Amino acid sequence: MNPTLRLLWLLILLLASSLAHAQLTIDITKGIEGKGIPIAIAPFGGGAPEDIAGIIAANLQRTGKIAPQPPQTQADYSVTGQASPGGSRGYIVQFQLNDAQGGQLLNLSFDVPANQLRPVAHRISDLIYEKLTGEKGLAGTRIAFVTGGGGSWYLAVADVDGQNPQVILRSGQPIMSPAWSPDGSKLAYVSFEGRRPQIIVQDVYSGARRVVSAAPGINGAPSWSPDGQRLAFTLSKDGNPEIYALGLGAQSPVRLTSNGAIDTEPVWLPDGSIVFTSDRGGSPQLYRIGAGGGAAQRLTFEGDYNARPAVSPDGRYIAMMHRRGGRFHIAVLDLQNRQFRVLTPGGTDESPSFAPNGKMIIYSNGQRLAAVSVDGAVRQDVVLRGVARDPAWAPYGR
Amino acid sequence: MQCFIRTLMAAASLALLASCASTGENTDQTELDATTQPGVTAQPGQEAYSYAYGQAPGGYDSYDTSGSSAGAGQAGRPGQGAGGSVVSADRIVYFDFDQADIRPESQTIIESNARYLAGNPRIITQLEGHTDDRGSREYNIALGERRANAVRQVMSAMGVPSQQIRVVSYGEERPAASGPDEQSYALNRRVEIVY
Repeated sequence: MNPTLRLLWLLILLLASSLAHAQLTIDITKGIEGKGIPIAIAPFGGGAPEDIAGIIAANLQRTGKIAPQPPQTQADYSVTGQASPGGSRGYIVQFQLNDAQGGQLLNLSFDVPANQLRPVAHRISDLIYEKLTGEKGLAGTRIAFVTGGGGSWYLAVADVDGQNPQVILRSGQPIMSPAWSPDGSKLAYVSFEGRRPQIIVQDVYSGARRVVSAAPGINGAPSWSPDGQRLAFTLSKDGNPEIYALGLGAQSPVRLTSNGAIDTEPVWLPDGSIVFTSDRGGSPQLYRIGAGGGAAQRLTFEGDYNARPAVSPDGRYIAMMHRRGGRFHIAVLDLQNRQFRVLTPGGTDESPSFAPNGKMIIYSNGQRLAAVSVDGAVRQDVVLRGVARDPAWAPYGR
Repeated sequence: MQCFIRTLMAAASLALLASCASTGENTDQTELDATTQPGVTAQPGQEAYSYAYGQAPGGYDSYDTSGSSAGAGQAGRPGQGAGGSVVSADRIVYFDFDQADIRPESQTIIESNARYLAGNPRIITQLEGHTDDRGSREYNIALGERRANAVRQVMSAMGVPSQQIRVVSYGEERPAASGPDEQSYALNRRVEIVY
């Protein structure tokens, strides 16, 4: 199919889905041109109130690895399906994935209520993606982010395509640094309610909250240990910002750093060691300490500012914000071979967070959220209504 | 007393938001002073409300997510702290980029406030540190605290007792001006002496 027609068709699909949900825009700023796996997707008949095929096409397009095509196109694979009233819960959604030789790769059906049609479209997208690439999909995942400012701050959780945003905290004071527990049931964050910073853990599905730390001075940058049993964070109660760890059942946090400089933004590696930001060398750079503290090893040497580390789920990569030439980029350090890669053109990029499959990184460009693949090949904008910052990609799970 | 008021407010908000599964709770740790601080804006009841996922009344679209800060489009208007506090220009100390050193011209402002505080030992001041929006948000919290501590040190040297000074850093979260330009950056790199 000619590329112009293909683009037009995609635009129509995206327009159709954005008409139904007006606050969404997805802007594919960079894809793997001509490299995606071609897959023809036919509209789902049956009269369901969601454009299932459109949602699937948008999800697959966003991966950068699959190139959705109009129906009847000569493509390597094809998707056909139906979403009709029926079943015990309201709708029967049924689909097949076939290869060009007519071989059936997937043939499944779902019995769902109307409000589960979008989640089912995400589930189908992930099933197709996993079948064709061997990687776990992201269409069914969620992101937490902070929005508002100036007098009203909000912590919200949305589907990864920007749809279905839900406020879980509103405050008259700033909210910062949301971090998901490994099981995806809780968010730790910083709240300035009462005009002082506190670290709070909120159960996402009940709304119940617990103050974890409200020490004098900074209470910042919470991060969960891989087993979900401990939090690392920043306190300045002893005079200047240091890294602490607190067992969730314990009363008092254990101090892990001791340095006159700023130490902040701790994140855990799978082996229990901690990567954090420190300006002990003059400029902010990333360092690593053992599970119990001890001597710090400097990890970053590129550019003049490296901060806000994020760890990939397998512990191989550290994403960070990276300044060179006065511009902030998202960069990634491969801990296996020490390769350092700048992933974004730069500007005011900040706050990277890894997708649970480790393939993508979501970040804020200061105004909006965007995502980039760890290899830098795919990049896209996710535009929510209003500003959005401090994104945290939820783990697989609930 | 404050706890009682909070509980009352929480109860009132529960009644108001009967559909929401849970409201915010304030379980302050006891190590913290729960005393009211004269001069610092009192907490106007409860400021934060939490909701179970999918249970927020009205939904996302009903909230103002425009993100416009109080300083939006008001670059060049010093003292207008976003989010309500208004601090006059003689209580604001400005800083150079990525620096926490007190500029010579700021010495007068700090000293006149310190003299007043030293002469009025019942007044407690809150030194609120701020940064421009370049760089990491959490690192900027640390940088804002470093600036507020620099002001505190000058005040302490002039005889203001430490229990009369509180320090809080907002980093880049409460800009005074929102433009992506050097003029706004300069207005945002500040410590507000609040009392």
